[in-house]
Parts: sequence; structure tokens; C-alpha cells
Amino acid sequence: MGALGPAEWQAIDVTVRLCLYTTLILMLLATPIAWWLAHSRSRFKVVVQSVVALPLVLPPTVLGFYLLIALGPRGLIGGSLEQLGLNHLAFSFEGILIASVIYSLPFAVQPLTEAFRNIGRRPVEVASSLGAGALDRFRTVIFPLSRGGYIVAATLTFAHTLGEFGVILMLGGSIPGETRVLSVLIYDHAEAMNYEAAHSLSLMILVFAFFTLFAVYSMNRRFGVSRV
Amino acid sequence: MSEQDLTLRIRANLRLGSDFELAVDHELPVSGVTALFGRSGCGKTSLLRLIAGLERVRDAEIRFGDQVWQQDGNFQPLHKRRIGLVFQEHSLLPHLSVRQNLLYGYQRTPTGLKRLHPPEVTAMLGIDDLMDRRIDQLSGGQRQRVSLGRALLISPQLLLLDEPMAALDKETKRDLMPFLERMAVESKVPIIMVSHSPTEVGRLADQVIFMEDGRINRIDSLRDSLAKPDSPLFNFAGAAFILEGELGQTNIDGFRPFGPPEARLWVPLFDASDHSTSTRLRIQAKDVSLSLVEQQHISIQNQLPVTIERIDSSGGYSAVVACRTGDGQLILAEVTSRAVRQLQLEPGKAAYALIKSMALLP
Amino acid sequence: MFFTAMNRLVMAIALSVLSAFTWADQPLRIAAASDLRYALDDIVAAYRIAHPGAAINVIYGSSGKMTTQIINGAPYDVFFSADISFPEQLAREGLTVTKPTVYAIGRIVLWSNTLNALDLTLADLASDQIERVAIAQPAHAPYGMRAHEALQSADVWETVQPKLVFGENIAQTAQMTRSGAADVGIIALSLALFPEMAKHNHKLIDRSLHQPLTQGFVVTRNAADNPEAKAFADFMGTKQARNIMTRYGFVLPE
Repeated sequence: MGALGPAEWQAIDVTVRLCLYTTLILMLLATPIAWWLAHSRSRFKVVVQSVVALPLVLPPTVLGFYLLIALGPRGLIGGSLEQLGLNHLAFSFEGILIASVIYSLPFAVQPLTEAFRNIGRRPVEVASSLGAGALDRFRTVIFPLSRGGYIVAATLTFAHTLGEFGVILMLGGSIPGETRVLSVLIYDHAEAMNYEAAHSLSLMILVFAFFTLFAVYSMNRRFGVSRV
Repeated sequence: MSEQDLTLRIRANLRLGSDFELAVDHELPVSGVTALFGRSGCGKTSLLRLIAGLERVRDAEIRFGDQVWQQDGNFQPLHKRRIGLVFQEHSLLPHLSVRQNLLYGYQRTPTGLKRLHPPEVTAMLGIDDLMDRRIDQLSGGQRQRVSLGRALLISPQLLLLDEPMAALDKETKRDLMPFLERMAVESKVPIIMVSHSPTEVGRLADQVIFMEDGRINRIDSLRDSLAKPDSPLFNFAGAAFILEGELGQTNIDGFRPFGPPEARLWVPLFDASDHSTSTRLRIQAKDVSLSLVEQQHISIQNQLPVTIERIDSSGGYSAVVACRTGDGQLILAEVTSRAVRQLQLEPGKAAYALIKSMALLP
Repeated sequence: MFFTAMNRLVMAIALSVLSAFTWADQPLRIAAASDLRYALDDIVAAYRIAHPGAAINVIYGSSGKMTTQIINGAPYDVFFSADISFPEQLAREGLTVTKPTVYAIGRIVLWSNTLNALDLTLADLASDQIERVAIAQPAHAPYGMRAHEALQSADVWETVQPKLVFGENIAQTAQMTRSGAADVGIIALSLALFPEMAKHNHKLIDRSLHQPLTQGFVVTRNAADNPEAKAFADFMGTKQARNIMTRYGFVLPE
């Protein structure tokens, strides 16, 4: 197995940044959604639940296709950005970041929803009666009681983003340093019949994925936060 | 007490599910202990949650004294209302120790508003020794006492108890009762307590809000509500009444004197560790007999001279006879209609009320 | 603790997202048809020697896919297509700054990892011994279109069609054939001449059987102010670059 060259390191850098940012953004974004899903009695709940779970069943190409249309220079979002004098988001790191956030949404929302459901409303109502405002309650009650859910959600999100391929290929192309993540680089290597490089990167991801899942399932046993 | 004048104004319509609606438009008294009494499903807990701001309905009006908790667009969230909440089931924060639970609200209470402090509250509730335990090392009764202490330590302006004893077994309930009584008297915090237990209401409440099918039927003082022959507080075990008085020191054969000499009862000591000076006894009318003469050779220990005030024979073969004691309290005796005829009982007649000691157990 | 760390990271994300809107100092990005995979790598290497310090990234794919990407805003500076019709389409849409220029004529060949391609004809692909034939996706890969035309001209399209496997681009098609997943592949001559592939024989397909693979390139609007793009385009006309192209079997325009 050969040593990693600059192209490989560049892809690792893009991939790790993408996974980290996606995980952080999703932890912030999924928290209110999951809380609402866990405790709301609204009749729109099923609708939101279904929308959140869509990336689980949709082919990545469907998501990639719509994002390409929306974020490109002729799309609603990309077009508006261009008119504001900014760049559109197709074939850019920000574009695949948006795609990853959407694509991994269920992997963040579902463990958190489960964790929040296990907590129930009671501790929050109690904290509220004891004078704690919303942020205070989250910091001192909800978060400590759902830490297991957060660890599982963050790990799964990170790992799932690492495994992303179709959406990124469609929306991001394979631009080095920008959108060429490890999975895409492996595809390129295989296509160029550079099997040795494809091999070392694939093995790396394989090992990483195994240990991630191993960690998640061990945590599931400990915290009782299952699903996915 | 200035709190005597406090009222809680509530006007709200709350729809829960398709066939239940809570509709209230009342001024509730808030002094001492107010019981919200009614069958399960009558809306007691919903009313409590409405007061706490845990159920939010549009167009509701909730005012506590001169504070607006909800009116028009204004909504004061629970954490700003300074309401102590104690729930039916265990609700201590599981990731915190007993001490951290107790101090959670205390630390968040503005210094100027702190009236109750940890030493006195833990002493009042007998939880000094539990401070460093983990929550899962507490018994059910201990948990409820810590919950009560935690709620008291925010120096609340109102304490809401949602059936705080419903999830406890009979003995734990009996243990917890004196603490609740003591807390109600000593903390001077007005309490609204949801209950469907006539015993609890009888022991703790000063006034009772009777609820049925999402409506408030009546608001009465405990005494008045018990004086009514068809009181809902009788529903389950027949007529009952309350005697109030001082509980004296235990004498050598294990009995404690209760009430003034002219109406003295002897109460069996149930639990040697119970040093409460409980001022209330709740007695079932069926445990009381009447005699026209003072009895000598009889096992019953407690005889009180009384004057008959009223006889209610609506029960068919039995009648409830209301009598006045020497210190002016009301005693109810359930006797057969036949006895009423044979003894020629009638209002104004003097008699002796015989009460079985075992009926005086707290 | 958690929150201070979190706040800092959120700030970092916000900053990096903002800063990303200004593309500073990007390397020259060349989108190239997959048949150029080895030839262009050699040319870029030669260019780097001639222009030390030049930063160049080459991204390979099928010409049709690259065209769609450019239309949707992909930031490519120079586009080498396997068929000049794609750069012409971009020019019509106003996405280019130079006229599409022919840089080579491509050829297709039969190639096999298991059989001797020299003994094969297009007609043989219909025989029972051959179970799988790989060609590039005709919908968007020019080499696939030409393979399709050649099979039709040889009158075997109907029989061969059920055996076809489609590569996403011509390089993938070559890879499928090399791995043995397909018995025979119709691939670019430029790929068959790559040393790894050249260990096996290839058989040129008669150019009269299909439309010519007229390969054109264009500088896109993205590189309007990029002198490096112009310099590289010029380099393609040098003898050095032309020699490399010829070595990979391309026929060059005069």
C-alpha cells in the first residue's frame, strides 16, 4: 500500500472539514426539530417526521439533482445569491455542506428524538418551575440527560457524511480541495485504474467505519438509545 | 396574614381530546391549603397545569393577586411565576444529587425573595441526613419529601401539589402526612392541592374546590362542605367529620390526649416516632354511636357529651345524626333509623357520642 | 465548557462560509474528457516543467456530464471535450470566452483482457462466447455514441445490445474491461495505449463505421480574466504537446 500523496491529503482535509461542519451544524439544527418531534401533539408531526426521514429512502441522486437545480446559477437560491453579487453554491464546498446537512438529517434527528422522548416533559417542567429559563433548562437538564443521544447522533452523522458519495458527485463534481472528498477520490482512482491508491484509501475508510459503528453500538447498549 | 386576601382569578377554556373540555371562570381563594377535589378525569390536573402555565390556551385570563400571569397577549412563563410544583410521581432530576436537586431552584431565586432557607426546610421535612445521597438511593416517601423541599426552597408565592401521595403505598402515605401538615402550617405558603382522597382533603385542606366534568361546582370551607349531608367528600366511605384540637404528650399506656377537657378524646399512639401535634382528626360517622346515658362497662374509651342538632334520615334504614360537642365542634354519628325511633332522638336532646379508638388512628 | 467550545466552532463555521464566497488564488481547473486521462496528465506534467509554480487541477469525466456541470455553474476554466459539439453548445449559451477549437481526432478500438483483440471483429461480438461487452454511456459520452454507431454499421447492434454494460465515461469502460467484468470493450485508442493497457493487443475499428470523434476545447467564461488558461491553451499547440497526443494515438489537426 503506497503512502498518501498530496491529492489524498487534500481529500482527507476536505472530508474531515465536511464531516465536522456537518456534525456541528446538525447538532444545532436537529436539537429543536427533535425536541418538537418528541413532545409535540401537533397534527403536522407526521408530516415533519416523514420529511426528516426522506433522505433515508431517497436515492442520493434525487437529492443531488434538486440541490443542483436549486443551488446552481440558474436556481432559485444560487440565482438569488448571484444577483446579490455572491457566488452560487453548486460545485462548491458550501454546496456540498448544505447537501450533507440535509442528507444526514435523519441520522442526527432520530437518536435525539429518541433521547428526548426518554427524558419526557417532566424534568423540564420541574426545572421551569424552579426558575430555569429555556437555555438554562437545556444546559442543565436536557443536555446532561440526553448526552448519550448526542454522542450517538454526532457519531452517526459524522460517519454517514463520510460515506456520502452520490449527492456530492452530482452537486460537487470532483474539484480538488473543494468538493473532492475521499469517496469521490476513490472513485477517480478506480476509474484511472490506480488501484493501489484506491485500495489504501478504501481500507482506511473501512476500518474507520467499523470502529465508528462499533463505538455507536457499544454506546447504544450503555445508554439505551437505539434506532437507525 | 396579608395573604388571606389573595385570590387567583382564572378564566379559561381548554379542550383536551374530542370529548373533554375544561371551562372555568372563577376567583379561587389562596390561603392555607385549598384542595381541588373530584373524580379522576374531572379536570383537576388540567386546571393545575393551567395555573402553572404548562397548558397554554388562547384567550385565557389568569391573575394571581395583582400579578398578571396570562391576559390578552401577555403570557408569563412558568419560570417567572415562582410557583412550587410537586407531582404525583417521582420527579427529581436523576442526574443530580439530593443536595443539587434541593439547591437547583434555591440558587435561581433572587436573593431578595428568599424567605425559606435550606436548614429550616430540610429540618421541617426530615431530610437532613439524605443530602449527599443519589436519587436512586431514596425511598418513595423520601423522594416526595425532597421534592417538597425543593419546591419550598424557591420561596414560592404558591405551591401546587398534584396528588403528591397518590403513587405511595398506604404506610408511606401515613408517614408523609405529618410532614405535609407541618409544611402547610409552617411555610406559610398558600397551597393548591389536587386530590381525590377524602382522607387527604380532610386532613390537610382549609377549603375545597369541588370539580366535576371540567367544571368547578362549588368552593366551600372544609367545615361547611362536611356539614352538608350529601357532601362529595362522603362519596367513598360514608359520612365523615373533622375534629380539631391539640394533641398532648403520650401517657404511660400509649394514648395521647386530644382536645380540651370538656371534649377530651384519647388517641392511640400509632407510631412512636410520630411527634406531630396534629390538630385534626378525621372520623367516619359509622364509627360513632350514640347513647342517652354515660356508659360504664364498655370497651369504647372515648365518650363525649354532645347536643343533637339535626337528624338526616334520607338514607332509608340509617340516619346521620349531627351533634355539637362541648367545645362547639360538629360530630356526625351514623345510626339506624330504628335507633332514632327507640331512643327518641331529636334536635336539642343531650346524648353521649361513643367513638371507637381505632377510628382515631391518623 | 461545552457551550464556549460550541460558540467558537459556530463562529469558525460562519467565518469560513463567508470567506469562501471570495475565491482567491484558485488553481487552474481543467475539465477533460476521460479519453485524455493519461495523455493530458503527461501534457500537464510537461507544462509544469515549462511553467514552474503553475497550479493546475484536472478533473476527468464524460463530456456530456462536464457540459451539464458547466451549465450549472461548475468553476472549470478550460474544457477539453471528446466531441466538439459540447463546447459549441456552451458557446451558444454564452458560457465561453474562446471559440471552440479542434485539438485532436479520436479513434475507438476493441480491447480485451482475456481474448486477443487482434483476432476480433465487430461481428464476433455477436457470438455466444462473448457474454459481456462494455461501451461508454451513449447518452452523454461521445465514445459511447461512436461505439453505438459502429455496432449499428456492422449490423450487430440488435444482437449485441442485450450483452452491453455501460461505463459512465470511457475511462470507466476501460476499467470495466480490464477488470474482466466485460469480455470485450469498445474503448478509446488513447487509453489502450496507456502502458498498463498496452500489455494486451487492441484492434482499431474502421473509422468509416462511425462519425469522426472531432475533439474540441474551449476556455470558459469562468477563466475570462485568467492568463493561465490562455497560456495552457497555447501550450496545446506546441510541438511538445502534440507529440504526446500523437503518442497516445490521436490524429492531430493541421
